[in-house]
Amino acid sequence: MEIRPILSALLRNRAGAILVALQIAITLAIVVNAIYVTQQRVEKIGRPTGMDDQNIFSFTVTGFEKNFDFQAMVRDDMAMLRQMPGIVDAAPIRQVPLSGSGSSTGFFSLPNQKGEQSPANYYSTDEHGINTLGTKLSGGATFEPGMIEFRNEDKQGFPATAIISQGLAKALFKDKAALGNTFYDDQSKPYRVVGVIQHIHGSWVGWDKVDRVMLSPLVGPGPGTQYIVRTQPGEIDRVMTATETALRKRDPNRVVGKLRKMSDYKKRSYAGDSFMAVTLTTVTGLVLVFSALGIFGLATFNVNNRTRQIGTRRAVGARKRDIVRHFMTENWMVTTLGVVVGCILALGAGFWLSNQYQMPRLDLYYLLGGVLGLWAVGQFAAWQPSRRAAKVSPAMATRNI
Amino acid sequence: MFAYYLRLALASFRRNPGLTALMVFAIALGISVCMITLTSYRAAANNPAGDRSSILFAPSIDNWDPEQPYEQYDKTLAPTMLTYRDAKALYESNIPDRKLIMYKAGGIVSRADKGMEPEYIAARMTTADFFPMFQVPFLYGGSWDGKADIGPEPVVVLSKEMNRKAFGGVNSVGKSIVWHDREFRVIGVLDDFEPLPKYFDVSNGSFTDMEDAYIPFAWGPVLELGSDGNTNCWKTETIDSYKAFLNSECIWFHGWFELRTADKQRAFREFLDNYVVDQKKHGRFPRPLNNYLYDVDGWLKRNKVVEDDNKAVLVMAFAFLAVCLVNTIGLLLAKFLNGAPQSGVRRALGASRRDIFLQHLTESGVVALAGGIVGGLLGVTGIWALRAYYGRFVEDAPKLLPFDEINFVIVVAIAVFAGLIAGLYPAWRIGRAAPASYLKVQ
Repeated sequence: MEIRPILSALLRNRAGAILVALQIAITLAIVVNAIYVTQQRVEKIGRPTGMDDQNIFSFTVTGFEKNFDFQAMVRDDMAMLRQMPGIVDAAPIRQVPLSGSGSSTGFFSLPNQKGEQSPANYYSTDEHGINTLGTKLSGGATFEPGMIEFRNEDKQGFPATAIISQGLAKALFKDKAALGNTFYDDQSKPYRVVGVIQHIHGSWVGWDKVDRVMLSPLVGPGPGTQYIVRTQPGEIDRVMTATETALRKRDPNRVVGKLRKMSDYKKRSYAGDSFMAVTLTTVTGLVLVFSALGIFGLATFNVNNRTRQIGTRRAVGARKRDIVRHFMTENWMVTTLGVVVGCILALGAGFWLSNQYQMPRLDLYYLLGGVLGLWAVGQFAAWQPSRRAAKVSPAMATRNI
Repeated sequence: MFAYYLRLALASFRRNPGLTALMVFAIALGISVCMITLTSYRAAANNPAGDRSSILFAPSIDNWDPEQPYEQYDKTLAPTMLTYRDAKALYESNIPDRKLIMYKAGGIVSRADKGMEPEYIAARMTTADFFPMFQVPFLYGGSWDGKADIGPEPVVVLSKEMNRKAFGGVNSVGKSIVWHDREFRVIGVLDDFEPLPKYFDVSNGSFTDMEDAYIPFAWGPVLELGSDGNTNCWKTETIDSYKAFLNSECIWFHGWFELRTADKQRAFREFLDNYVVDQKKHGRFPRPLNNYLYDVDGWLKRNKVVEDDNKAVLVMAFAFLAVCLVNTIGLLLAKFLNGAPQSGVRRALGASRRDIFLQHLTESGVVALAGGIVGGLLGVTGIWALRAYYGRFVEDAPKLLPFDEINFVIVVAIAVFAGLIAGLYPAWRIGRAAPASYLKVQ
């Protein structure tokens, strides 16, 4: 294959070739970085939450009358909810995982703020909390009813037992067994681990310690709390309506907040990530289509402009195959120029993004994939115009234009 | 002449409708993606304080943990909220023209005569200057004065929406509501008041709903109300009562100070530093002296109201527009060179290079205008679709993606401008072509 005649033909329409190369360069920079960022976001959104998040809903319940009996309200509501058809289990909980609203505090493996330390997202709930969230225990058991403490007012510290997530257990106890072990808060109050949750996510999905969770056997503080309810699969909408009616009927003298699905909380918590992923995927798709169209346009233009030249070449002995190869090679050279410039742009953009916005540095495999992909797109887009060029009859050489 | 160029442009579009449509489509898609990202960016980047932005100041003083900085991503930054003690101390300063301290508290509101469905509401516990400082509009009545702050008097200002729910929207000044078992007399009802972003308190999100009621700050400690917003603590201390909580190093208050002159701003900065140095003598503020006083603009930046994702997506969108434009340049070049023989004839008949250049630039402008309008409509459709999807679980979605006519005008203008830039080279190139070569073969 002779490169020189192709090169000289290319140089005759420099502007067109440079435009396509430039387009390919920017495309590579966009596509590689967009796919890389999208990939990270999609992975983040798809992480397992450790809960039956599609079949759970929650709402606040607050009493306001004077001399209001918080404990009686929770007890009677729970008794009613747990026997309603379609409901797997229900529990009071102060805040809801994945909701974006939660509390955290620091814990230590030894008293006097010594040893390993870790923050944890904590949730106050009763012995039904584990089953209602749909989490699995890797050791121990849920709270015993006798461990649960009702509080009418807020005060520091938790009851003496706790169920903790594997993530928190690892941070506090390293390789030692967590079950039956003790950890401490900043006031050196001890907590005995009675259960270990395999995996669970807390309230803030953007937090790198989202899997460090503690459940505390505590209901309240009054006069308000949230309830979470887990339903049979597919029953959630029906159960939500039934729950609202049943609660109003049982006692109209408290305020029941809006019922919210945990799946909606989850979508809301990841809304920024999904918006990013959707936008970038759209841009990636469109930019590839336009690059292909640009390559196609230039090739078509070149073929149209050179019918006579092609005819002449055919007349002096070039085979159809040679003509196709000529245009494919020409296209490949333009694409390669674009890809080389594009690599520099992509690395520059990746560097800038990671510096400016604390994103991880661009993975080079993505760049390699992008280069191969754009070569393929280029050859694909040039295929039809090249075939058309090959069909030019040798007789064209004898005609004007 | 311009009209003639327009006619030529239309004739040229009829000659290659496919190519023309492709160019319009390229610009339209590029512009629509830009419009969607620009809309969410501009909504977040808005500064609702207007020209008061440079005289309203929020302090940020570093009373955080000696072991670790307040923000992990930038260790030089100080906390954005205040402790009760510091809020009260700063509020005592006589330097500012106006001043306020505030926080958010929740509770169930009802009417003593049972005239409304009880409801959980968020109230802003604030001192009186809140209303003039943030230029809050009133529908009925007015705000309380400094005397009511000291009492504190049981007065409340309702939001328009709360007044609708509690009193059916009529003038309710003089009537009362019950909150935390206490009657509060309505002295004012707000008109529509929703600065976006909610710049005076972004600690629970920049686009969260406004509070339903405004109550004198001093009622917070009297009724022993905790924060309905964020509370952050770092220090190991025994908190066994509300009083201990108020005296703790936990931060949950916001302060704003109106400082109209550079002298007052300098004086207040000095006051902040002196205050912290003095507190250090009492064993507080264990970190190095590190105080900030932000105007509204600086405050919005400090709180990252425009998120990093917003910026990154915007950059990507404009890079995409660049690809679309380079594409359009290529297509315009091909199209113009295709029509070169006509230009050759026009040149031969006496048209100057400049005429040919302007004629083709006009053609590019028309393509870009069409692309801009189609792109704007596509953008509006995209925004509508995103709002419909995200609105189901993100309450703020309509505020983050507003339908904004100005954005439409902006993107059409960007499209036309970009189209003209894109047309420059092809139009220049065709204007330079020698007419003779085209005439020969005709």
